[in-house]
Amino acid sequence: MNVLKDLMDILDDVEKPSRYIGNEYNSIKKSASVRMCMIFPDLYDVGMSHFGVKILYDIINSSDFASCERSYLPWIDMQKAMIEKNISLYSYETYTPINEFDVVGFTLQYELSYPNVLRSLKLGKIPLKREERNNTDPIIIAGGPCTFNPAPMENFIDAFLIGDGEEAAIEMMRAVKRGKTRKERLALLAQINGVYVPEYNSKVEKRIIPEMKKAWAPVDQIIPYTEIVHDRGVIEIMRGCTNGCRFCQAGMIYRPIRERSYGEVFEIASGILRKTGYEELSLLSLSSADHSQINETVSLLKTLKETSLSIPSTRANAFTVELAQAINTVRKSGITIAPEAGTQRLRDVINKGITDDDIFSALKLAKDNGWKRIKLYFMIGLPTETDEDVISIGKMLDRIKKMSFSEVSATIGVFVPKPHTPFEFDEQILPDEAFRRFKLISWAKRFAKLNFTDPEKAVIEGILSRGGKEIGRIIEEAERKDLIFADWDELFNPQGWMEIFDEKGIDVESLMGQKSFKDAFPWDFVNSGISKEYLWSEHQKALRETLTPDCRNGCTGCGVCPKFGVDNIVQKRVTDEQVSHSI
Amino acid sequence: MNRYLIRYKRYGLLRYLSNHENMRMIERLLRRTAVSFKMTEGFHERMRMSFGQALPTGVIDRAGTFVISTEENLDEEFLRIANILAPKSFEMSAIKKVSEDFNIGTAIEGYFFSLIFRERPDLDENWKLKENGKLWIARNFVQFNSPSPRPKDHGQFLTLRDEIVWR
Repeated sequence: MNVLKDLMDILDDVEKPSRYIGNEYNSIKKSASVRMCMIFPDLYDVGMSHFGVKILYDIINSSDFASCERSYLPWIDMQKAMIEKNISLYSYETYTPINEFDVVGFTLQYELSYPNVLRSLKLGKIPLKREERNNTDPIIIAGGPCTFNPAPMENFIDAFLIGDGEEAAIEMMRAVKRGKTRKERLALLAQINGVYVPEYNSKVEKRIIPEMKKAWAPVDQIIPYTEIVHDRGVIEIMRGCTNGCRFCQAGMIYRPIRERSYGEVFEIASGILRKTGYEELSLLSLSSADHSQINETVSLLKTLKETSLSIPSTRANAFTVELAQAINTVRKSGITIAPEAGTQRLRDVINKGITDDDIFSALKLAKDNGWKRIKLYFMIGLPTETDEDVISIGKMLDRIKKMSFSEVSATIGVFVPKPHTPFEFDEQILPDEAFRRFKLISWAKRFAKLNFTDPEKAVIEGILSRGGKEIGRIIEEAERKDLIFADWDELFNPQGWMEIFDEKGIDVESLMGQKSFKDAFPWDFVNSGISKEYLWSEHQKALRETLTPDCRNGCTGCGVCPKFGVDNIVQKRVTDEQVSHSI
Repeated sequence: MNRYLIRYKRYGLLRYLSNHENMRMIERLLRRTAVSFKMTEGFHERMRMSFGQALPTGVIDRAGTFVISTEENLDEEFLRIANILAPKSFEMSAIKKVSEDFNIGTAIEGYFFSLIFRERPDLDENWKLKENGKLWIARNFVQFNSPSPRPKDHGQFLTLRDEIVWR
């Protein structure tokens, strides 16, 4: 079946129809014996910006037996139109209803998208719960960072892929090909490293690739017609991060680091430009300024004509400014740094690894080099935080404004402790307390633009990320009550969520409260390679305000490398001469 | 510097592109040809291109046109390669060298539009109506920079920009 003809009848009536038309340049139509549809459970504009989907799309489509198509959750107006015309959620390559695929995969990038997953299944006429599915339904799989606590979604997902997907994705497609029935397929999936099948497995270890092969870097990247959030070519220059910031889940679950060499990055970049026509390239990693060859990489990429470069995720030190300086030769509008906390004491608690000196010398350098606007990121509610720590955020902004930047703006979020981090034992502050702490900074509004993120959203995120199986009922009810697209401010309805927590008897305070080493967590059966003992010792060090160094400078004993028999892959610095030689 | 006028057609699902999306799609397609086109000045360099009149989203375009400049000599072979690199439902049909002072805005007198109906429509006399099998086709001339017909605005199920009328 193919929904294209019906689709043509409704596209004139919806907002931004180009986000639903599919068939973009570089998308792949392929017939294969195993067909998968990968869904990013959010609007196309967001989902198309996501890099993980691009990697797996390419890898599966390069295989000789499996194909991968894509889908996204349509906006409200389109959902209504589809329901009225009885159009199922469809793939963007062949306009096939998603329930005709062998496998439907979701990427779980943020917890607030969980109800979107259920809405996608509903629009695709696939039973929500795994026990309701039979041999004619697709196998529903999920990957992405949220799967490190699969419990909240495990009523709905047949198999989770936890960790790196490059190799496991193909193994999963093969298992589906071999299995004749749903039961056989699930049993085979359960034998794959990194795969958790709730029906068969009681524990799981994350999957890891020892190095990033060049062939895995997506080059023929799909060009959207719609203007999407990140509309540019993307090269992953490094996976993992060695800073060991204690609040950061990505820093823990993506260990160890695996860097690509500058030469390889350049080859991939040239390929992307040739195949896409993109005018901008983005270097992706958790902390690009830490890449051992970032200088070499940037100077080589700058030789690419008529192409601008962007590097998200850098550190709050002078080097970040030097890097920004190297990239932006003309425009000096804004620079972003993330001190995270207002005092050195608290930055030591979270192991941020930067000092006031680092921050202010970076700012001075930015000022001297002509930057006029500064944007900063902070969190409140970090473990051990006192009122003085909070007030210090305001003081810091005051000091920065006095350096005579024309605009200082700060985003202040509420900290959500995440599974598999040293702060998984810590409490999350509730909205009343968050509002009280926000007030301690609001005097800074006189000289800085303050943007406080919603504390109620943080609570919902906290519950969805730290909850167990019982949270499945909440997610189901949230979808039923239309609490989808919760990350979109215009549709965010915190009251609706709070009512569900009440109705379903969720004890928010205890779920958000302090835990100890002895407490069992719903994600204890997921082995990220970092033991709970290590996380606990890091938690204790945090309380003592003791730093743990970057593990590039010596192993800190988290356990990931020996556990999986891998190592940090760090590139060697090279001279300018060698770089220019490689052009 | 050589200036070229290129004519194109855009149909099928690509009719749902907004004017801005259409321009960006064409720019990226031209960048894939690896021909070095004249760029705008400024921080974010864009390709210097001028287009015919913008169309509302949803209109099929058989009379699209734009002008680009390059130091290189372009011919039919360029068009052939560019079409290979084009998305489905987009096709460049002609290339012509134009003078340095060619202005697309003053060169075009207007466009012919066609509206396609499943039933006989009730339209004012400016529209020439023709029965064609089970369909009714209404055709009208629209002066350059006057408002274009919009999808469904007369109850039609398809809206086409058919033809350029040059001055």
